[in-house]
Amino acid sequence: MAYQDYTHDMQRCTRCSYCKWIPYRYIKNTDFMEGCPSVARYLWHAYSASGKFNMAYSLLKDRIEIDETFLDVLYHCHMDGSCDVSCKVQQDLEPLQLMQELRIKCVEEGQLLPVHMLVIEGLRKEDNMMQSPKADRGKWAEGLDVKDLARESAEVVYHAGCRYSYDEELQPIARAGMQILRNTGVDIGIMGVDEACCGGRAYELGYAGELTKYAEHQLETLRTAGVKVLVTPCADCYAAFKVLYDKIGKKPEIEIFHITQYIHRLIEEGKISFTKEIPLTVTYHDPCHLGRLGEPWIHWQGKETRAMGPMIIHDPPKKFRRGTNGVYETPREILKAIPGLRLVEMYRIREYAWCCGAGGGVIDAHPDFAVWTGNERLKEARAVGAEAIVSACGWCKRNFLDAAAASGDNMEVYDIIELVQKAL
Amino acid sequence: MVDTALEKIVGSENILTAADVLAEYADISPAVTPKTPGYAVRPENAREVEAIVKWANENRTPLVPVSSGPPHGRGDTAPYTDGTVIVDLSRMKRIIRIDSRNKVAMIEPGVTFGELQAALAKEGLCAYMPLLPRRNKSVVCSVLEREPITRPGHHWDSTDPLLCAEVVFGNSDRFRTGEASGPDTVEEQWEMDRVQMNPFGHSHVDFQRLLSGAQGTIGIVTWITVKCSYLSKVSRSYLVPSDDIEPLLDLCYQLVKFRFGGNIFIVNSLNLACLLSSNHQEIQDIKKELPSWIMLTSFEGYGILPGDKVASEEADFKALAEEYRLKPVTTTGNASAAKASQLLLQPSPDPYWKTRYRGAGQDVFFLTTLDKTPDFSAEMNKLVESCKYPPQDIGVYIQPIVQGTSCHCEFNFYHDPAEADAVNELTNQACEKIAAMGGFFSRPYPAWKDIAYQQAAGTAEMQRKIKHLFDPNDILNPGKLCFSIPEVR
Amino acid sequence: MKLAEEEYKALEAIVGAEYITREPVILDTYNQVWGNVFFFDEKHSVRPAAVLLPANTAEISEVIKVCNKYGILFKPFSSGFEYLSLSLANTRGILLDLKRMNRILEIDAKNMRAVVEPYVSVYRLQLEAARHGLYTGRIGVGYSAGVIAAECCHHGCQHTMVFTSGYGRNTLGVEWVLPTGEILNMGSGESGGDLFSADGPGFSLRGILRGRTGANGGHGVVTKASVKLYPWYGPPQWEQTRKPGEPPSFGQLERVPDGYRVFVPSFKDLDATLEVSEELCRAEILYAFGIGIIGTAQMQEGNDEEWAMIQQMMQKGNQSFDPASGISVANSVVCVIGGRSAGELEYKEKCLRVITGKYGGSFSEQFNEPGALARAFADIIWSNGVNLRATGDFLPSSSSPDGSPAMLKKLALEEAEVKRRYEESGAFLSMGGGRMVSWRPEEHLSIGAQGISTAQYDPYDPASLAAAREFIDKLFDPRSPFNRYGVPSRGGCLQIEPVTHIHQNWGRLYDNYDVYLRKIKKMLDPNTVADWTAFIPPEYPDYAKDGDYVLPSYGKEEEI
Repeated sequence: MAYQDYTHDMQRCTRCSYCKWIPYRYIKNTDFMEGCPSVARYLWHAYSASGKFNMAYSLLKDRIEIDETFLDVLYHCHMDGSCDVSCKVQQDLEPLQLMQELRIKCVEEGQLLPVHMLVIEGLRKEDNMMQSPKADRGKWAEGLDVKDLARESAEVVYHAGCRYSYDEELQPIARAGMQILRNTGVDIGIMGVDEACCGGRAYELGYAGELTKYAEHQLETLRTAGVKVLVTPCADCYAAFKVLYDKIGKKPEIEIFHITQYIHRLIEEGKISFTKEIPLTVTYHDPCHLGRLGEPWIHWQGKETRAMGPMIIHDPPKKFRRGTNGVYETPREILKAIPGLRLVEMYRIREYAWCCGAGGGVIDAHPDFAVWTGNERLKEARAVGAEAIVSACGWCKRNFLDAAAASGDNMEVYDIIELVQKAL
Repeated sequence: MVDTALEKIVGSENILTAADVLAEYADISPAVTPKTPGYAVRPENAREVEAIVKWANENRTPLVPVSSGPPHGRGDTAPYTDGTVIVDLSRMKRIIRIDSRNKVAMIEPGVTFGELQAALAKEGLCAYMPLLPRRNKSVVCSVLEREPITRPGHHWDSTDPLLCAEVVFGNSDRFRTGEASGPDTVEEQWEMDRVQMNPFGHSHVDFQRLLSGAQGTIGIVTWITVKCSYLSKVSRSYLVPSDDIEPLLDLCYQLVKFRFGGNIFIVNSLNLACLLSSNHQEIQDIKKELPSWIMLTSFEGYGILPGDKVASEEADFKALAEEYRLKPVTTTGNASAAKASQLLLQPSPDPYWKTRYRGAGQDVFFLTTLDKTPDFSAEMNKLVESCKYPPQDIGVYIQPIVQGTSCHCEFNFYHDPAEADAVNELTNQACEKIAAMGGFFSRPYPAWKDIAYQQAAGTAEMQRKIKHLFDPNDILNPGKLCFSIPEVR
Repeated sequence: MKLAEEEYKALEAIVGAEYITREPVILDTYNQVWGNVFFFDEKHSVRPAAVLLPANTAEISEVIKVCNKYGILFKPFSSGFEYLSLSLANTRGILLDLKRMNRILEIDAKNMRAVVEPYVSVYRLQLEAARHGLYTGRIGVGYSAGVIAAECCHHGCQHTMVFTSGYGRNTLGVEWVLPTGEILNMGSGESGGDLFSADGPGFSLRGILRGRTGANGGHGVVTKASVKLYPWYGPPQWEQTRKPGEPPSFGQLERVPDGYRVFVPSFKDLDATLEVSEELCRAEILYAFGIGIIGTAQMQEGNDEEWAMIQQMMQKGNQSFDPASGISVANSVVCVIGGRSAGELEYKEKCLRVITGKYGGSFSEQFNEPGALARAFADIIWSNGVNLRATGDFLPSSSSPDGSPAMLKKLALEEAEVKRRYEESGAFLSMGGGRMVSWRPEEHLSIGAQGISTAQYDPYDPASLAAAREFIDKLFDPRSPFNRYGVPSRGGCLQIEPVTHIHQNWGRLYDNYDVYLRKIKKMLDPNTVADWTAFIPPEYPDYAKDGDYVLPSYGKEEEI
């Protein structure tokens, strides 16, 4: 696909502005009714998904060029997909895909953000998005008695992901996740220093080639390792393995699990049971990539046709990804199973959750915006009476920690793995 | 000397010049020092009105439209310049059409409430009434002047019950507002079921809002359509007495908000007595037996289940009254709810109720919200004491309007006609006080128009510009509202 | 045309560099709205020279003074959903995006009013008011639409008007920055009181604020308004839920809230339906009412799902698509009653049942099962928005005056006859071709009703677009038999004056209202700085090309 393939969508964006808000049926508190952090923060219509349709259409019509403003607007966006869900309550349009294609076009034309270039250079050189040495990739697991799948075989590969692997504050979480699974007898191993980036983040920045490259690499590595299951604690990696690889025709032949799904399965099988009380009121933050963006890809090929006169339909009928089949209930059920823990819901959850602020390369290119978005979420968590916010993604935890530090908020920030570990 | 051109328009028999006849048009309000009109003309139809306005423009002669009979007491029809010609619309008395299905009546300016009610009753309808208007009060005038009606639940907008109007603007253009506009005559419109009931527009302007409250300064209205109500088949009325006004206000808020009840208003004991009795002594006797405040409310049964409607509203009303520890009664002292309610359907029997207690009454009225009325009442009491006016002689009338979002608050300073000057001074002070407290003089009659406009400079400036568009030569009722009297004629 | 540096700097000095832009990339997101193709051949209308995000009334006033100084056209907007909210007469025009003015300043529960800024949406006010047991009317263009746009500046009130009125009749106070930059407070606000009345002293300036429709930015900026609220009988908060695995569009109320009851009776034919509708409305029992739209069906995910559902129903021989044979959407009405007490609800229901019984009404299971009623309630009470998904565009309120109900019926049926041709040719969405009339009663039908008719077409299908224009040309031709029903598009919806020439063509038939409107425009805006494309030009720029009739001028994109 290319951005031009979304001409129909550009033409038919009505400017209803639904993309700016969460779907109205679910608005409970008008202080927390906005869905798109970008337009909420920067106000200009261009920053909304509708604005992106408009920019794309103007570009298509040669009314504008890709210039600094274009890039600024395009990349002050978390690519979180909230707009996509809200838009599709009313329309059969693909705002997120269009934004993705616009980013790809920018990259193809060499219209790059310097910060992202550095990140990508790091990726190309060191196979990670953290601009850190490849040699340090497996350090998070040092001292753990865990199979190295470069040398040994196991049924399950534990893919820590770039963020967990290199962020020192998060490394213990990666370790904990690994230990939890291993302690229940899962035949599990890691790729260690050979673990590479999934390529998902690079794709979101517009580097489509990197996704292909890393998808191929991963598929090959997994095949070589002979694993049947991949488990990752990182929501971004989950979405890449589960959704993006499929999207580009490189669907892995093994099962892909986010760690919450795997833990949930172990709980159901009676292999994990919580024994310790955690007397804490928490709220769960749906990571975008586990939730709406974690919905499986739907392939469709066909043509647009008409019914009842000019009504626009598809042959064969086209199923749109509306976020419905993301992972929402699983992490909640884990939290609900922890004794003493009280789960309170925020106003924006599941398909229409507010982003943590880290996504879409914003944490690299526009850290102030990332912090702003994160703080908006912390305010929401506080508004529902939570003492702690729990997420299931390293990027979320990182950004919430940064946001809390910046604003002086003392909200506790947990990765769900930490709570699971505490409760065992 | 009457202009022959004018004689040609209305016929010499419809030009009144005799001093005693012209005296009838004088205003008795001490707030104005009126000039004597040159003469009065009595047109028969819109065509004649149009010709008169044309003539007035050509001759730069001021016109004051009048449609109610005497006495005129608010000053709005008092000529301010010599040579003014009164345009007396009382000959235009046709009830042009009553559409019972759509509850719409089309009437000319000379029609009084008594006449309209009688005609409507035959069609199973009744008019929205102000509180016991004078017998010869023009319905058109009352409606255009935004006199409050006693049924706040049906008072959606300040202009109600006005729907559409035909008007001759000050520049002599004839114009129809709202749905009445168009290429067809009204008769042709009726043929296509177009019954002049929709007030909006035309287009981006609500022209009827420029006529409503204008005191005849923008145009002379030659007919209007008014919305009407069904005539009740069943009606129950209550008086809710209380020495403390606060619970009455609470109840009033609830009744109006939830649209329980038809007539709803609050009066003090003196005003209820004035409404019910015809002479001073009786008024005093009735008043003696009454608590300080009384809310009157009626439940009007119409439609397909009139009895059920009344029963349902009555039950909710009683439950609400109990919440506020109020006891609705059908009679209290010598006051009967049923009698009061009957009176509300008609103009005031003679003598006019505001003259019954002491021969004369000076009204001061303004808009506020119900919750603020006790403050105004308390301040009025303080003020009259300082002016040596007996507080017990003040009548109070509180009428929720626009479905309870505001209220018409009225103080009546009843007095001996000989005390007019003192009461005039009291009125001035009262108006100053009211304005300072946030009371809003939406209807700026001469007694308080200067005070009203002191706080409305922007509105005044805009109104002057608008006036210029519709009445460029300042022909119509000069000197009223914020408009100055042209110096050279 | 770009603004001169000096001009831009003068504007920037007022709002700050962060809140003004002249970047083409951003500017071109302020001129693309559904419907533009109909008027301008392109989705793009005139690109503004700059867009500003003013913070308050004072800034707007200063900006407008600069516009007067340099002769710059301006237009304010809130959600910007309507094409006429962003259309500009020339490229020296700037837009004022009022997004930063988004506060609900006051809800006075006792006196039933709210004071809001321009970006406050109707749905947001509905949510906030409900906490106080109050409600503001439903608007039909979705939940982004602004309260001030609906009440003061544009148009658009719908099925709750039977109870909550609309069209500016709910305006109790206004702060208005005039095209000269002066600030006018109307009514009690100017006199220093609370905003409980916008009328006077003397005649009401609401008369020039708006009529049936608003000035759409053509005479300044309404920066604050006090609006009337109405009783809300439902809960202070509500939740629309769905089953696991269902898409967000499936969210719905589990049941009609306590305090309300909903009924969807059906009648034997259209005449009976309209008769009973009038009687129901005049019975003063209704909180909301819908004819020709019932909203009982589950909203589908998308067009394909919608089409699948329709095919399924047709296969089953479902009568709702066969108006001739009995129960049909056209001959069914949605009645919502509300009440503070059980007794009140009982009375209203009894009344409703007696009236519907009188006309042989029946309550089909399909339309009256609890889920269907809850969906109908949500649909008619809250704003789910215009369905542009089906074809990509629609013609709103093509003829559509307000007026007497029986007249509106005649008009609707005559218009439907014209429309049928385009439906049969496949140019317009066809719903089966049954006789259908839709009007929306105002104030228990005591002041008439809003006529409404729509046609859905695809602006990107040349044949469909041509048909849409031909259809509108027929209705908008002042020489046509439609000229007696009222000026078409009085809501202003299809009124881009330099294109459709409504005022110019129809004014003389309707008491020369346009002459006064032009005078008012000139009086308020002596330097013509407030964009007039959706209001009226001070002078008509086009000359009659066909007698006295000015042909529509579609396709004037860059310099309309």
